Amino acid sequence: MFQLIVTPSTALADEPVTIRVTGLPPSQIVTLKATLKDEKENLFQSRAFYKASEAGEVDLEWASALGGDYIGVHPMGLFWSLKPKTAFRRLIKKDVMNSPFYITLDLYDSVSLNDSATIQPKASQMVQRWFSGPGVQRKQIREGRVRGVLFLPPGDGPFPGIIDLFGRIGGVVEFRASLLASRGFVVLALAYFAYEDLPNKLLEVDLEYFEDAANFLLAHPKVQRPGIGVISVSKGAEIGLAMACYLKQVVATVCINGSSVVLDLPLRYKDLVVTPIRLGLERTQVHVSGAARFRYLTDDLWNKLNPQSMLPVEKAQGWILFIVGENDECLDSRGYAERAMQQLQSHGRSRGRMLAYPGAGHLIEPPYSPFCLASWNPGVERPFLWGGDPADHAAAQDHSWGEIQKFFRQHLIPTRSKL
Amino acid sequence: AQLTAAPLSALVDEPVHIQVTGLTPFQVVCLQASLKDEKGNLFESQAFYKANEVGEVDLERDASVGGDYVGVHPMGLLWSLKPEKLLTRLAKRDVMNSPFQVQVKVCDPYFPIKNVVPGAPKDSLTLERWYVAPGVTRIQVKEGRLRGALFLPPGEGLFPGVIDLFGSAGGLIEFRASLLASHGFAALALAYWGYDDLPPLLEKVDLEYFEEAVEFLLRHPKVLGPGVGVISVCKGAEVGLSMAVNLKNITATVLINGPNFAIGNLHVYRGQTSLPTPTNIEFTSSNALGFAEFYRTYEQTGDVDSRYCFPIEKAEGHFLFVVGEDDKALNSKAHALQATSQLTRNGKKNWTVLSYPGAGHLIEPPYSPLCCASRIPFVSPNIHWGGEVIPHAAAQEHSWKEIQSFLKKHLILDVTSQL
Repeated sequence: MFQLIVTPSTALADEPVTIRVTGLPPSQIVTLKATLKDEKENLFQSRAFYKASEAGEVDLEWASALGGDYIGVHPMGLFWSLKPKTAFRRLIKKDVMNSPFYITLDLYDSVSLNDSATIQPKASQMVQRWFSGPGVQRKQIREGRVRGVLFLPPGDGPFPGIIDLFGRIGGVVEFRASLLASRGFVVLALAYFAYEDLPNKLLEVDLEYFEDAANFLLAHPKVQRPGIGVISVSKGAEIGLAMACYLKQVVATVCINGSSVVLDLPLRYKDLVVTPIRLGLERTQVHVSGAARFRYLTDDLWNKLNPQSMLPVEKAQGWILFIVGENDECLDSRGYAERAMQQLQSHGRSRGRMLAYPGAGHLIEPPYSPFCLASWNPGVERPFLWGGDPADHAAAQDHSWGEIQKFFRQHLIPTRSKL
Repeated sequence: AQLTAAPLSALVDEPVHIQVTGLTPFQVVCLQASLKDEKGNLFESQAFYKANEVGEVDLERDASVGGDYVGVHPMGLLWSLKPEKLLTRLAKRDVMNSPFQVQVKVCDPYFPIKNVVPGAPKDSLTLERWYVAPGVTRIQVKEGRLRGALFLPPGEGLFPGVIDLFGSAGGLIEFRASLLASHGFAALALAYWGYDDLPPLLEKVDLEYFEEAVEFLLRHPKVLGPGVGVISVCKGAEVGLSMAVNLKNITATVLINGPNFAIGNLHVYRGQTSLPTPTNIEFTSSNALGFAEFYRTYEQTGDVDSRYCFPIEKAEGHFLFVVGEDDKALNSKAHALQATSQLTRNGKKNWTVLSYPGAGHLIEPPYSPLCCASRIPFVSPNIHWGGEVIPHAAAQEHSWKEIQSFLKKHLILDVTSQL
């Protein structure tokens, strides 16, 4: 009889799962399908077709998918190739503490291209994917101007502290912060607009707000001193890089697919005001799917650049890790990171590093996050094209997550205290 | 500002010269096109242009800087039209009595921000895009088993006869035949399933039905003999090739993105049968948006094993293969190469292959918008046809001219060669 074995059945969302089928007829073609419903009841699905071995087994560790949502050997392919039934919806966990995502894995003993009300799977297993580990605490933060959510690992600490910044999605996005807290970091998922009593629209970047947040974090009894880290993506990464340049409290910054110049909105820090580079919205391109491609909004940037708009990375005292998706369709991430690296080198600074991932797009997230080619953004009538090739993007998420954690541990945990 | 277009009323495969005058020097404007099809589906496109020093924009000279296409593309607004509802294909049903009306507007650039109402356009006009030239007549064909529509150019003739075959959508698709008649051909749009009292589902390809069509066309007093041409796409091209191999009087065959072996159906002719080629449905892939790609499903059978291939060397007429290299429904390039290699091996030089990088499956007459995915009857997942907007448009423009020259060259012989 068929057996579908999926372990572990409960795990953190960034942990891999082994999927094995046994008891099949030799060389039987089967379909493995994954289904998830998000907190708004949006359906996400993926499937792959495998051929059983002579011994009647399919083990995703070594079996090669023949077709479906991915081809080749991809043990976690069913997870990262999950696609929304309604195009352009992005999967984001809202409640990271009290419930997991439930993913149902189904086995069919034939090629199942579509859902059928009449054909039942031969075997089914459900797995739980959690965004916070046992003992992680969540605290709503309203201190001075600072708004966000703080995640604390279990125990007394001290733990390395990290500020987590997302982009123009606004509000607070918690799932990456809660996962990092589950890995031993104190993480402040920091909102900066469209949240509580913060401004509804982002009109400028006031670095003193982010300095308040850094000081708040460093003052926390469970946070390692003397410096904190920042993990940041997209517009958040431009802010994160600015924090690295100007704030001595920030000693380790991860910038994922962000700009190294001040774009679109002015940057303010005390008396300094940096004029932004204008985004030429008339250079928005439309992808065949109807999604908007923003990559070319800054035409001829490097030739027309006012040097004052470049973020002064040579002033950064800490370490910077640039994570770049080379197929980013939202931003020329590689171009920005390379310029910043050149600027560091030309000033004799050696504390920058770039990890560039061929085939990866804009939304580089923790491992196994479903690949999202394009999705809606608040306030815009067209979906945004993020870019990327699914399998390459998944590999980038896998690799970069380990590198990010290593980077933070290396630069935020003083070696002397390890004795 | 003034928007002009010439000609305002034209055949759908004829170019239009669009210009704007009366702008300020170097003003950035948005040109938009919109069309509602016969079912009320909305299609839209836009492009951003920068006026020259005298405030003019000329689409034949100037490059679009953003929008649905970039670069110099005088007809870009038409072939980059996109449906409001993803997966909708633009196909004219009534080709005789009405044109497509395309509204063209020039306006200030506005961006797809929610709740921002665009201002009134500076100027607008309506283009009429016709599928028939004046004087073309349409005759409903219901003779013997034949079902279709015959389009005749104005005048006494004699006109080269062409049978027009579409593919997996079934029914009767007339727009290409009506255009061919507008260019001097007697074109028979032939249905073979899913129309009138024909089988609702194609069960077998009965070549005697198609032989009746050839004889019908050659019998017609306005049709030039001694042979006819065939223009065929997809499943239609499978039938077209089978006709060329088995039937007499097929002088010139255009095969657009078709297989060189039987797919899904038996082919029968006077007691002889060709079995459908076995397929590996487990090799179906999915693109990043979840649309099904079938082009790998014959890679272990028809693509490599010549015993399934039609004996193309037995055909007497000439072949023009039109291949979209980005076809995701069929491995069109491999099929054309395999068929033409077979011809070469048999010492035959009666073929030409036009292979277009970046073009997809649905290569249609010029300026047809690219439909990258849609549904067809009886197949459940949405099908990814492939193609990138700009190269696909170029392929349509180039191939249409080549197709007409090819058909005229082989169907209209010198009087002397007929002696």
